[in-house]
Amino acid sequence: MDVPETVVTALADREVAGRRCLEAGAGAGNATAGLLANGAERVYAVTNDRDHARTTRRRAGGDRGDRGDTDSDGDRLAVLEADLRAVPLPDDSVDLITAHGLCNVLDPAALSSVAGELSRVAAPGAHLVVDDYEPLPDDAAIGELFAVENAASELARGRPALTFYPAAFLRRFFAGHGWEFGRERTLLEPVPWTESHVSAHADEAASTAADCPEGPGDALAATSRDLAREIGSESVGRMYSLAFRFPD
Amino acid sequence: METRPLGDTGHDSTVMTFGAIALNWLEQEGANQLVEHVLDYGVNHFDVAPTYGDAELKLGPKLRQHREEIFLGCKTQERTYEGAWRKLDRSLNRLGVDEIDLYQVHGLEYDEELDAITGDDGALAAFREAKEQGLIDHIGLTSHGDPDLILDALDRVDDLESVMFPLNPVVAGKDGDEYDYEAVLARADDKGVGTLGIKAFAGGSWPPTGELPESDRPFANWYRPVTAPDEVRERFDFAAAQGLTSVVSAGDPKLVTMILEAAADYDGMDEAAQRSLIERVRHDDSPVPEQLHH
Repeated sequence: MDVPETVVTALADREVAGRRCLEAGAGAGNATAGLLANGAERVYAVTNDRDHARTTRRRAGGDRGDRGDTDSDGDRLAVLEADLRAVPLPDDSVDLITAHGLCNVLDPAALSSVAGELSRVAAPGAHLVVDDYEPLPDDAAIGELFAVENAASELARGRPALTFYPAAFLRRFFAGHGWEFGRERTLLEPVPWTESHVSAHADEAASTAADCPEGPGDALAATSRDLAREIGSESVGRMYSLAFRFPD
Repeated sequence: METRPLGDTGHDSTVMTFGAIALNWLEQEGANQLVEHVLDYGVNHFDVAPTYGDAELKLGPKLRQHREEIFLGCKTQERTYEGAWRKLDRSLNRLGVDEIDLYQVHGLEYDEELDAITGDDGALAAFREAKEQGLIDHIGLTSHGDPDLILDALDRVDDLESVMFPLNPVVAGKDGDEYDYEAVLARADDKGVGTLGIKAFAGGSWPPTGELPESDRPFANWYRPVTAPDEVRERFDFAAAQGLTSVVSAGDPKLVTMILEAAADYDGMDEAAQRSLIERVRHDDSPVPEQLHH
């Protein structure tokens, strides 16, 4: 599978070759694919989601199959199923960390714990790349869908599904965790929320709504599907990339 | 309309090239009107081929009337010396002109074809003779094929002055060497070879003919084009922003005005917006539907 332009752009000015890397929150393994393609010595892809772990593993394995490399991507990749609030890696053990689209799925309490762990595992001089979304403008139609997704998540789990942190906020936040700010760049503007994104979020909202103890779950699920149909796709907002360095 | 140097040819082409295959779908009167319409926007580079139905014949009258305003590209799928000469004569006759400004090897697809055209008895030998005789002014090549093949051609054909190849956000988002037309663009730039972009407006393939018979397709293009004005505009902007000399308009006359408008208004596209477009078409196309992020 191809490395998305967002990852290519975020990693373009980082030294990856020969580095020990951590993709914090692997998702579909987008950043892992970019790190492997750029010659990382080792990539630890950490996710607490079994499906994501499988997708990431398959993707790296598939790459190896296509090219028939003896020095395969699979050998350089370790997919770890773990909670990022307790990263199963020793102190000072990685040179480059990516948090690509991670922070928006962390509520403030989780973000705080995860940042502590990232600082712990970072070796002196390590780099951190944080890619995420600015809060949406008030008139963004997809904001309603995210609101339903958050409402379902609050009722089912007691926390929001999505929190969009401003770049300026995360910049100061990670500085507070000891990281020196390096640069900010815009990855996507506008952000293309395609039909596949919109329906994936509607499905997510509906499946979370099904876990609501009682009451509004069915209504939230129905609303999410109606909104997805109504919205279709929307290009709105900004995705940014922040880069930091851990002091020696 | 913005113009850019077509490599080292000395000609400045408008950032849009008129794909004259569009004339094939019109009666002569409509074809005349379309040429006037395109010229009204200041477009100065036209591209035609003998394989485009009656396009050469229908372009002829207005081409002859406005010969000085039009830099004329034509091409041949012949790979041999004899064949190329025959097709060049035929095109000159059908167009009714004495000279073609840019004559291109059309649709190079296989390594053997590159061997054939560069051989002693190959098409390029005829091109060079025709150039000496003043029947053509510049030599070019077009390909939808493997970027590696076009790179080889750039290395092997010293007098190549332009290349025409696909460039759009769909191929730009794919990583494999078989999609690396950016490498072709870079090499051509290095060598002072002009670059003409095709398939800028391709939305995807047509559905299988079992699902949608060819006769029921709503556009005359070989691919399913984007058709909304905003989409046409962003596709044009994307292609032009990659640094091509010129972007060839789509083959269906219904799309030409939208493309002219986009070309006339072109003033760049910032990189975040280019990535946004690549991401959008990548996800439209993606076999992995469950992604929540970009």
